[in-house]
Amino acid sequence: MANYLAQFQAIKNTSDRLVVAVEDVSDLWPSVKEGLEKRLPLKKASLNNKTRNPVYVENLQAEFILTTDSRLRSRFPQEQYLFWFREPYATIVLVSCEDLDEFKTILKPRLKLIVQNEEREWFIVFVSKAHPNNDQATKNAKKVYARLEVDFNTRKRERCCKLDLNGVDASFWEDFDFKIVESIRNTLDRRAQFYEEEIRKMSEQRLMPVWNFCNFFILKESLAFMFEMAHLHEDSLREYDELELCYIETVSTPGKQRDFGGLEHGDDQAALLKPGFKPLSQIVQDDSFREFEFRQYLFARQVKLLFRLGRPLEVVMRGYSFIISFSKTLALHENTLPFCLREVWVISACLAIISSTSSTYDGLAAPDNEKEFYRLHGDLYSLCRIKFMRLAYLIGYGVEIEKSPVNSASLSMLPWPKPSIWPAVPEDASAKVLAKEKLILQANPRMKHFNIQRKQLPLEPSSLLREANRRRASLSVGNLSELIDYRQIDGSGIDGHQKFSPSTTNSMSRTYSGPNLESSLSLDRPMRISEVHVAAEHALENTVTDPDLLKSLSSLEEFEQKYMELTKGAADNYHHSWWKRHGVALDGEIAALCFKHGNYDLAAKSYEKVCALYAGEGWQDLLAEVLPNLAECQKILNDQAGYLSSCVRLLSLEDGLFLAKERQAFQLEVVRLAHSEMKHPVPLDVSSLITFSGNPGPPLQLCDGDPGTLPVTVWSGFPDDITLESLSLTLTNTLNTDEGVKTIKSSDAHILKPGRNVIKLDVPPQKPGSYVLGVLTGQIGNLRFRSHNFSKGGPQDNDDFMSYEKPTRPVLKVLKPRTLVDISAAVSSALLMNELQWLGLIVKPIDYSLKGSLLSIDTGPGLMIDESHTIDINEYAKTMEDKVHAHDSNTITENNTHPLEPKQLYIENGKIALPDWASDTSTTLWFPVHAIDDRMARAASADSPHRQNMVDGMRTIALKLEFGAFRNQIFERTIAVHFTDPFYVTTRVANKCNDGTLLLQATIHSQVKATLCLYDAWLDLQAGFVHVRKENGRPVSSFFPLVISPSSTAGILFSICIDNMAIAADQNEVVQAESILNVMYGISGDRSNGAHSPTSLKLGSSDKLFFKVAIALQRPILDPCIAVGFVPFSSNCLRVGQLINMKWRVERLKDLEASPSSSCKDEVLYEVDANPEIWMIAGRTMGHALLSNARGSRTEITVTCMPLVSGHVRPPQLGLPAMDDANISCNPPGPHLVCVLPPTLSSSYCIPA
Amino acid sequence: MIASVAVVGHQNNPLYLQSFTNANDALKLHHIVHCSLDVIDERVNNPKRSVSTLNESYLGLLYPTESYKVYGYLSNTKAKFLVVTTDLDVKDADIRSFFRRFHAAYVDAVSNPFHVPEKKIVSRTFAQRVSGIVKAFAAGTNG
Repeated sequence: MANYLAQFQAIKNTSDRLVVAVEDVSDLWPSVKEGLEKRLPLKKASLNNKTRNPVYVENLQAEFILTTDSRLRSRFPQEQYLFWFREPYATIVLVSCEDLDEFKTILKPRLKLIVQNEEREWFIVFVSKAHPNNDQATKNAKKVYARLEVDFNTRKRERCCKLDLNGVDASFWEDFDFKIVESIRNTLDRRAQFYEEEIRKMSEQRLMPVWNFCNFFILKESLAFMFEMAHLHEDSLREYDELELCYIETVSTPGKQRDFGGLEHGDDQAALLKPGFKPLSQIVQDDSFREFEFRQYLFARQVKLLFRLGRPLEVVMRGYSFIISFSKTLALHENTLPFCLREVWVISACLAIISSTSSTYDGLAAPDNEKEFYRLHGDLYSLCRIKFMRLAYLIGYGVEIEKSPVNSASLSMLPWPKPSIWPAVPEDASAKVLAKEKLILQANPRMKHFNIQRKQLPLEPSSLLREANRRRASLSVGNLSELIDYRQIDGSGIDGHQKFSPSTTNSMSRTYSGPNLESSLSLDRPMRISEVHVAAEHALENTVTDPDLLKSLSSLEEFEQKYMELTKGAADNYHHSWWKRHGVALDGEIAALCFKHGNYDLAAKSYEKVCALYAGEGWQDLLAEVLPNLAECQKILNDQAGYLSSCVRLLSLEDGLFLAKERQAFQLEVVRLAHSEMKHPVPLDVSSLITFSGNPGPPLQLCDGDPGTLPVTVWSGFPDDITLESLSLTLTNTLNTDEGVKTIKSSDAHILKPGRNVIKLDVPPQKPGSYVLGVLTGQIGNLRFRSHNFSKGGPQDNDDFMSYEKPTRPVLKVLKPRTLVDISAAVSSALLMNELQWLGLIVKPIDYSLKGSLLSIDTGPGLMIDESHTIDINEYAKTMEDKVHAHDSNTITENNTHPLEPKQLYIENGKIALPDWASDTSTTLWFPVHAIDDRMARAASADSPHRQNMVDGMRTIALKLEFGAFRNQIFERTIAVHFTDPFYVTTRVANKCNDGTLLLQATIHSQVKATLCLYDAWLDLQAGFVHVRKENGRPVSSFFPLVISPSSTAGILFSICIDNMAIAADQNEVVQAESILNVMYGISGDRSNGAHSPTSLKLGSSDKLFFKVAIALQRPILDPCIAVGFVPFSSNCLRVGQLINMKWRVERLKDLEASPSSSCKDEVLYEVDANPEIWMIAGRTMGHALLSNARGSRTEITVTCMPLVSGHVRPPQLGLPAMDDANISCNPPGPHLVCVLPPTLSSSYCIPA
Repeated sequence: MIASVAVVGHQNNPLYLQSFTNANDALKLHHIVHCSLDVIDERVNNPKRSVSTLNESYLGLLYPTESYKVYGYLSNTKAKFLVVTTDLDVKDADIRSFFRRFHAAYVDAVSNPFHVPEKKIVSRTFAQRVSGIVKAFAAGTNG
């Protein structure tokens, strides 16, 4: 059956569509051909797929072929059976007849003969040529067609349709299409069933010796091909998939040694998209196919179907995995294949898949699929790039390949090709060898910027030199040890070669170089690296047939161009996919090549991307590899800002990634640039390098308005000391963000040591709140830098991407305004008026130093400071203590005091400077004051005691304390000080003797918290009174000195009498209107308690104080002529709001004539005096009441009034203004107080239930 | 042979990376591990594609290339564990058990109260334990 392969191939090539046979019985084809062929391709066909599910196929291609055509006629039955898929899928029988008899006799038997073959799917198209106007013909045709239907239609299936040549019925074509599709479907089903049955039968024999893959393949592919023709691509693809599986199983069964293939010219180019690359008959081998070609063939068929199905993504997916798996297969057969065929094949396969799919991809797929598509393209490019680099490395371009982690990861783990024999150096290759040697020697390993010395990453899995020679050595013996001896095996072949300097290996170079190189070359001698390259290049030239690839490997420039193209392809595709990191890493490779070619701008851009990726995710090892390159680009481009920033980033990388020397070089660059003249000075972010934090411990606390000094810990990541020209920090108020940030500066130059530094910054007064550190700014040379990074108080933190997590701790707390000091009067009790007194002030700092403070004192009216005296100051607490322990612990407290502390202060211009020792303790200041009151004290009646008004004794003193570090704090207070007379005096007539002597009692009430001692007292009487017995006015009994304890009273009794004689005489002279009580007294009190002996007096001196009190004496009522009496109320109780009548009875006690003072005749003037807040008087308050002059005449004065307030109130009083008080006798006297009840509750608003 | 093991934090920052190759080429392993994060990202961000794999920590083979393989494992806290192996024929069960032990070691290391989360693991005990696990794995696969 394998013999049919060629034929099978030919059939496949020629038939690409379904065939519909036309049995032209009545020579109608020429007339209907056009109409029928217009129906093709079939617009919509409902077919069944392999699982018998309906599938709608659009534009199904088909071809009408007459049964008389040679293509159908010339087939042998055997062929028909084998290649059944190309046989007609339907047979159309074209007939025409207008005569029923003719039909019955001739046509019908013929038709029966045609349709008797059961395997055919057929239907009859009856063509009516009758003209519509020709009724007879039309009628006949109808008759014949009816007969035809009767004869050939069955109940199950209608097999006839009628085509009217002169006036086509639209329904005919629908009928026609339906019938043709029905036939195709039935045929397809039957054939698929047949093939499946055959395949099943054959599969059962798989383990038998008769099994022949070729036969199986023909059957399977026939089925697949049939499905493909019927546009059932999905089914077709499945057949190929099964075929592939079956094939892989077949070739992997151990047993026969089969040829792999791949040895022919052109096999290095993958035929993944060219199913017809080689005829199958050429690759057949025994009962199977050569793997190399056949698997590519199967894949190509699959790809073709996938493209038909519109699935380029699947093409790429399958393509990538096919390339990987096939590459592995190639590796198994590498020793039989041409040198590096595997690599070359992979390159061409990847490029083929990429080019075929990228042109067909419409980009309309779902985003996920699109990303996947690009990712696979990236993978393909990447794979291609790796293989391409491997080839380039073999032929000596390795020295020019960047030894980056990307390339090293790709190449150093990829095994060398394993040809059975490593290619030998061709003859006449000395020139090439020299050229390669030159290339290697000239290749200048690029010194990294900043003299960074790194061991270069390997690009080879093991030394190429050793590998090549080892593989050659298998041909000879004994030189392996020699190889190992002279070569330092360190995994870096090219580097090793460079170390292979002429001075150390003179003998070697003499032996192995020279014009006779090729002649001396033998199998015994190990090759040199340049020879390995030449040999590889030569072998590759034999392997590679693709001119493009050959060209790309022909020179370094071509190589780099292709390398760039592949790298860019991979990077771009990765960027479009999920795999950003792959893309960015490859950007680094693009950058390296750009850099090499002097395209620094592009290189810098790409390097920046790479650095951003590595820095963003904290891959510092990788960053340390790329960042110096970026810095170098920036330096060359004169991008000072970028360069500086790169230097700073280099400095801020982890310790251990660079040597100390290298780090110092970075710093030198920063400092050099900072001190150079930059055209555009740039701000520099050094957050990763200089970090700062507040000092550990509680934050600095400042009172509102106070400046301070804030210590800040600054961590320097510079390897050496660095001088900062200035430094400033911003403070942010955490409570009130509206205020913005405050900057505190330190303009001094600082030298930051590596590591921890503490810098003190002056803080001007700030508003209350809690402050955190914001940004550190400063200057290095002309360079302004900023740092946002807080350190935790440990070594600087490099993971800046996590810095936002750090809590910001307040470093400064400015307290809310509070009382920092309190000044109060030391004594609350009154001081002596008109005497020099010590006024005590307690100055109490509240957790705040009063150092250097200044107290201004401004006295109010009526008070003055005696500046001639010094001011005493002592500790307040001590004073109190002294008081408590006065009796026993004097010595102890003395010891506690500061021996040198000044206790005496002077006041200058109303200001006192407080001593330093008093800055933290509460102190009491004693200073002498003098309150002045010109008014004379007056005695009060004992009946209506009338105390001295407190306000009269008040004096104010305004204090202003300036304190704080810069006297910035001000405390102001006005203190009221109470001054008073030492005592007040009440008088009363203690007794009226019958002889007219009055005993006047003067009660002396002490008003001070001090013991008064009365030494003497005398009374200067006013006119009208004289002392009994004309005495000197001293009291009745004299027991002076009289001691009056604080707040107690003492009485002095004077006996006086009325001087009747004087009355008349007084009228014409100015006489003393008041009596004066003169008191000579002393006071013994403590200034810390209140009133005390005036400061002007020496303590314990005998000087006495003098005090005068005016006493108003009233002559008694000796001559009453009118009596006034209050008539009791009619009701018991008074209520607020109730009108009451108040009645007074006025009675004349004497005849008017007898009364000299009476001025009225028969009436008396009265006046009612009432407190208007308490009483409302209805009617007149003043008037004349009739009262006859006769003795005993009476009258009543009534006033209606209403109490306004409840309580015990003073009732209205009746006065007689015209009468002298001495002539009025009140009997009974009016009540002092009356009780007024609250008003009765009003029920107006209460509604009874 | 295991070439390298790595722990990568949830922000894709390296927490621990140890290579077991003799050559001084750790940097290329850094690169491989870093690039493998792409695959993990893709799987994690594309739940549709990998419904089956996301239900468990073990992510399976991430990165089949011709010369090495990368396997991944994702913890609940999004810590990623990666293994780069040059051995192209490894049993899945072996790798799974390797990751389980590796994960346990990591959990112990980060449970140290002095360890700062998301910082590099500098514990020597952890390094020793990981080396032990790697050796045991090599012994297991060779034996």
